[in-house]
Amino acid sequence: MLIEVAHYLSILATGLFFLCFLFAFILSTKDIFIINLVSRVYTHGFLFLLVSFLIYVWLAINDNFNVLYIAQHSNTNLPTFYKISSIWSAHEGSMFLWIVFLCLWGVIFNLFTKNIQDLKAKSLGVISFVAVGFLLFLLLTSNPFLTILPIAPENGADINPVLQDPALAIHPPILYLGYVGFVIAFAHAIAFLVNGDPSIKWESLVRTWSISSWSLLTVGIALGSWWAYYELGWGGYWFWDPVENVALMPWLAATAFVHSLSVSTKSSLLRIWTILLSIIVFSLSLFGAFIVRSGIIDSVHSFANDPERGLYLLGFIAILIVISTILFSFRLSLLASDKNIASWSKESFISINNIIFGTLIFSTMLGVLYPLIYEYLYDQKISVGAPFYNAIFIPLTLIAGIFLFFSIDSKWQRSLKIINFLSPMSVSLLIAGASLFLFNYFLAINDYWILLSVFVGILILVRYMFVIYEYLFKRKYSNPYSITAHLGLSILIISIAFNSEFSSERALNIRMNESDIYGGYEIKFDDLRLEKSSNYDAVIASFVLNGSDGRNFILKPEKRKYFARGQITTETAIKIYPLKDIYMTIGDQLDDGSWIVNIQLNYFIRWIWFSAILMAFAGLMLAYSLVRGKR
Amino acid sequence: MKPQRKRRLTTVFLILISSAFGSFLIIKALDSNLDFFFTPTELYAQNIPVNKRIKVGGMVLEGSVKREKTNIIFEITDYENSITVNFNGIVPDLFQEGSGVVVLGYLDKDVILAEEVLAKHDENYMPPNLEIEK
Repeated sequence: MLIEVAHYLSILATGLFFLCFLFAFILSTKDIFIINLVSRVYTHGFLFLLVSFLIYVWLAINDNFNVLYIAQHSNTNLPTFYKISSIWSAHEGSMFLWIVFLCLWGVIFNLFTKNIQDLKAKSLGVISFVAVGFLLFLLLTSNPFLTILPIAPENGADINPVLQDPALAIHPPILYLGYVGFVIAFAHAIAFLVNGDPSIKWESLVRTWSISSWSLLTVGIALGSWWAYYELGWGGYWFWDPVENVALMPWLAATAFVHSLSVSTKSSLLRIWTILLSIIVFSLSLFGAFIVRSGIIDSVHSFANDPERGLYLLGFIAILIVISTILFSFRLSLLASDKNIASWSKESFISINNIIFGTLIFSTMLGVLYPLIYEYLYDQKISVGAPFYNAIFIPLTLIAGIFLFFSIDSKWQRSLKIINFLSPMSVSLLIAGASLFLFNYFLAINDYWILLSVFVGILILVRYMFVIYEYLFKRKYSNPYSITAHLGLSILIISIAFNSEFSSERALNIRMNESDIYGGYEIKFDDLRLEKSSNYDAVIASFVLNGSDGRNFILKPEKRKYFARGQITTETAIKIYPLKDIYMTIGDQLDDGSWIVNIQLNYFIRWIWFSAILMAFAGLMLAYSLVRGKR
Repeated sequence: MKPQRKRRLTTVFLILISSAFGSFLIIKALDSNLDFFFTPTELYAQNIPVNKRIKVGGMVLEGSVKREKTNIIFEITDYENSITVNFNGIVPDLFQEGSGVVVLGYLDKDVILAEEVLAKHDENYMPPNLEIEK
């Protein structure tokens, strides 16, 4: 009964959003009465959708297995937390949540923006249009409201055990919030182009929204990486899986976009770029949804192979892209700037950064799509692995890092002055160069790419230390958010370099009460026991590790067999030190009674996620300061 | 030609040249880093160089899994031909006889020395190419 109510409410919401879109684009939005109307219709549409979603959550919590989707993905034995997160553990529910978030951004924007804002009504119209497109997709091709009649099954089929994890329960919502948040920037860009008044500064209207979305996207990706590290049992933080790549592309585009925004809010420079990027960021977010949902690419993330869904999404994305591109090319003259970018100015560095990010996005896109094109042309299956991405990303990131280093001394709209010998710039160069010799001599790092990465990382780090010193003690103004985010980047570069240089792993064959030695640790197989839990059986091994550095600890990797699906999962055991993780997983038992265990030493891996958190933190603080500055 | 137009033309020309050059480098990097996917039958039909990284997919042949210390040796089959795989390490949880598997590695005298063994997360997963025949 309730499920039908939820179903009707979301159909109603679709209708209201469609009305909102019609009002915004057919009636004159110069009239305050019309703007009030559009705003109210939007809020009501959202309320209907929200109530529909809340009913759905309520049904999931109360194990209503009349609902097909809930019966397929939840189970009475699950804790309430996972009953809720089971909603976004597969396709239909994920899309539902995605749409609710899309409209949520719209409603927050609606409530916190005065109705006299020039682009408000049209922006809401664009958001509504996107919402209608996705709601129709949900209702027509992937309906989460389908029921099992007349008799509901006694129990549900359970959520996939590897998804029963706190990090993974919150990873999709945060990632989705980040993805769809860029709808605000996209909607304003379209509204600005339709409106055709170049004096409206749409860029400054969307800065807060875009930077908060960027931060959420950063956190979402980092959470996914962290989860994959400890849950899947392979170690490692990034696998260049197609679905990771389609999350990385919007992130790269969004990073370029927020940089470009900071230029165009200050002057009329780079406006064309900024508007183009806002369209690209949102298109890439939707493209990500298409790749994941269509099952066109094999990946651990793809839920279902349904060509109908893929075609619908592709069609809708194509419509959005075609409309925006046509609008963009017709209104190009609006955006032209009479000023030129001074060479070696801050703007010039941001432009170079944009080009580099563009190249990275293009290469990633090529890596994702090339297997499809290749198979179509030559009837041969191929895949593009990590070596390709490394060959592109490492050099380009380092070049971007060097430009970042120069940009610290540069000024807006003025050329960089010639460096004198004792400037922080040359001192940083000296320190970074000297540290290379130390690393090469004491740590025996010989790989040129590692050395170069460490050089660039330290260069940026040291230069910013000078900036922080001047900021704190000489009261010389600099942008604290930019400092924090870029410090994050330098830490990211250094920790990725060290991680790939020092990390190692080995499989050991070990019997109970015997020991083996690896990586400076004596590993003793101490105990093995069986344990029963509410929804799985577990084999828990216990290893005592004695380090040559005097560090002693116990690691307990385990294997679980879940009842509902009969699925076996590996639970890793990790000992965390500031600079390294000791990471163990247990494999199978051999016929002679010995066990295979895998041990990894992962260096600096925590710092990789820490750097992402630092960047996201900087973004959120900037967004907060912008909101406060307006009041 | 007006000097302004001339300057604009030079800019466009420079952009075209540099993006062509950039694309060339990217595609070259792409071409040298492709992993080709084969079924065991396709593998026998072709001549694959020893130092070429390849992907082989199929089903784990029933009764073929052997273990030697930390190595696992098994055969991948497409029910026409089979190939032996040697892998050092822990295979994924979903790895079992008679289920789908993809390995990444190098061919060495009729044996694949695998660097990675993947079993699909989806229990209904079938390696590509096998799906159609069944």
